[in-house]
Formats: sequence, structure tokens, C-alpha cells
Amino acid sequence: MPSQKAQKFKKVLSLVVEPIALGALALLFIIPTITVMNLSPITKKLQELNVLGANTQSTMSVTLVGGKHEVFTEENLNKDTDTTYSYSTKLNKRAADSYSKPVVEIKNNTDKAQKISFYGQTLNQTQSNIRIIADEKSYKIQDDKGQTFTQEITIAPSSKVVIFLSIENLTGIQFSEEFDMQIKVVENL
Amino acid sequence: MSKLLRRALKISIVPAILLIAGKFIGILCTSIIYNLNFQISNDLNGLFSVQIYYPDASTTLFVNSISNLVMVLFVALPLAYFIIKTTLYHTIAHNPRTIVKMTRFNMLKWITAKDTSFLTMFIWCAFLWIASGVTIAHTLQGSTYPWVGIVAGSLALIASLFTIKTFEIETDNIYPTEHKYY
Repeated sequence: MPSQKAQKFKKVLSLVVEPIALGALALLFIIPTITVMNLSPITKKLQELNVLGANTQSTMSVTLVGGKHEVFTEENLNKDTDTTYSYSTKLNKRAADSYSKPVVEIKNNTDKAQKISFYGQTLNQTQSNIRIIADEKSYKIQDDKGQTFTQEITIAPSSKVVIFLSIENLTGIQFSEEFDMQIKVVENL
Repeated sequence: MSKLLRRALKISIVPAILLIAGKFIGILCTSIIYNLNFQISNDLNGLFSVQIYYPDASTTLFVNSISNLVMVLFVALPLAYFIIKTTLYHTIAHNPRTIVKMTRFNMLKWITAKDTSFLTMFIWCAFLWIASGVTIAHTLQGSTYPWVGIVAGSLALIASLFTIKTFEIETDNIYPTEHKYY
């Protein structure tokens, strides 16, 4: 009787094991196929890694300073590409005077000096002189006749510069206007 | 569990490991020999998340071609050994000159029934079909050199013909043709 029971158990076990073994055999063909297909290399720009494995790829960062000002309102900064930013603000009506405000902060996180260019203009001619001030130096962006100038500044490695926007008009301006400026990382020196 | 299934499982393990090892060793050796930059990273688009990246398309094409060729050879070479062994084993029964030649080349140890069964050859041949199929698919996608695809396809075809021949020999042993009775 016990041998009969053992035989019956063996029969049941073989019935259970057989499909599992068939599945295992199928997997022995399927898994290597998928693995080999997945192991095939693909093209991608490699990340620069340092010896510790941390990403050392450094970039320039341009951020809006913000804050409230009676002339410069509705400030906006957009990143167009990796190297290009567009800054815009609304210049409100104002009395004849000079006004300035810190608008953007540019950080050079790279290990090389970076050259940054600025090109800006108002939509209408307002007989105002518009300048940017960086490191206490003034750069003309648009003169009172409406002529525009591209200006470049150099930022030392691992340093930051706050860019001020300055506007000067000899007569009072009775309407608001839009000012747009393109900030571009020209090259690393 | 049937004896056939157990044997099939046992035989399949080695070529399955060799298939993956061939591809991996191919990638690794090519990268080391030619000093190529590569990166192993995670990509959630595939079935497995691990992916090997190369910086430009020409390097990827080169590495993929060589690794595919190594993978095919890793499966094809043992199969070629089985084919030669099977051919010799079946030839010596009818041709005494082969025995003399094998004695001269000190290859008498090769004359054994081991590894000469149709099942072994069929399973190895199936893995060669897989390796060749992957290589040909990559060739059609343009990610492997055409000559690698042609070599893989030719090897698979030749191996298939020899496997069919082995099948014929084995069926001939079970169901002998009429003239063998007389």
C-alpha cells in the first residue's frame, strides 16, 4: 500500500513538474534573446563624470532678481535655449529722471570665464537712454534716438554678477512701454 | 518529468549562458581594446532598464557589429565541434581510412557517442538561429555591418543543413532503409 501511495504521489508530482519544466525550457530561450537585444548599445551624449561619479557638468545660470519698483514692473525671464534667455519688463510712465533696478543675476558655475552679450530695445522710441550696469560699469543698450547696441561683459569663473537696468529720460514720459532684452552666453574663454 | 525534457533543459543551459556572455564580452573587449568611452545607465523605455550608451553613431555601429559577431561565434564554434564530431563518429563506421587518419592526427578520443545526438545539435542550432536572427535584424535596422549579418546568416544555414543531416542519420538508425536489411 505505501508503495502504491508513493507511485501515485510521483505521478501527480510529474504532472505538476512537467509544465513548469516546459516553461523553464521556453524561458531558457526567451531570456537570452531579450537580454541580448537589450544589451545592444545605443548612441547618447555621455554625461561628464568626475572620479566620485558625481556630475560636474557646470552651466551658466541666469535668474530674475525680482522685487517691486514703480517704473520697472511685470518683469519676465524665459530660458529660450541652453545659452539664450529673454528678459522683458514694462516701463511705466515716469517723470524726467534716472531710474535703475537690479534685474537679473548671472552666475558662472563653470571653471572658465564666460562672455555674455546683451541686446535689448523698446517697441516705441521714447527718447530715453537705456543702459545696463554690471560691476559698476555702464553699458549702453539703446540711446535716446532709438539706436540699439549689443554689449558684452565677461564673467570670471565661479563668480556672479548682478545686472542693473538703468533708464534715463530728460522729459517726462506719459505712457507705458515694453522693453525686451536678449541675454546670450557667447562663448567660454 | 520526461527524460527528453530533462535532457533538453540540461543541454540548453550552456548555450543560453554563452549567448549572453558572448554579447557582453564582445562589448567589453571592444571597448577596452579600442579605448572607447561608454556609459551604463538606466533607461525605462526598454524591457530591462539597464542600457549601454556610446557617444556617437559610428562607435555604436562598430561595437554592436563586433559584439554580434562574437556572440554568433560563441555559439557557432561549439556547434561546429559537435558537427565535426558527429560526422567523424558516423563516418568511421563505414570508412576505415578515416580511423587511420584520426590515429595519425591523434584524434581517437573524438570518436565517442557523447555530444553527437540530434537533440544536442538541434538545441545548439536553435541558439545559433537566435543569435543570427538578432544579428540579421540589427543589420536590417542599420545598426550592424552588412557583412556581419551575411556571416551570421551563412553560419546558421550551414549549421541547419548539418543538423538536418544528423536527424536523417538518427532516423536511419531507428527506421533503416530497405537495402540495409540485405
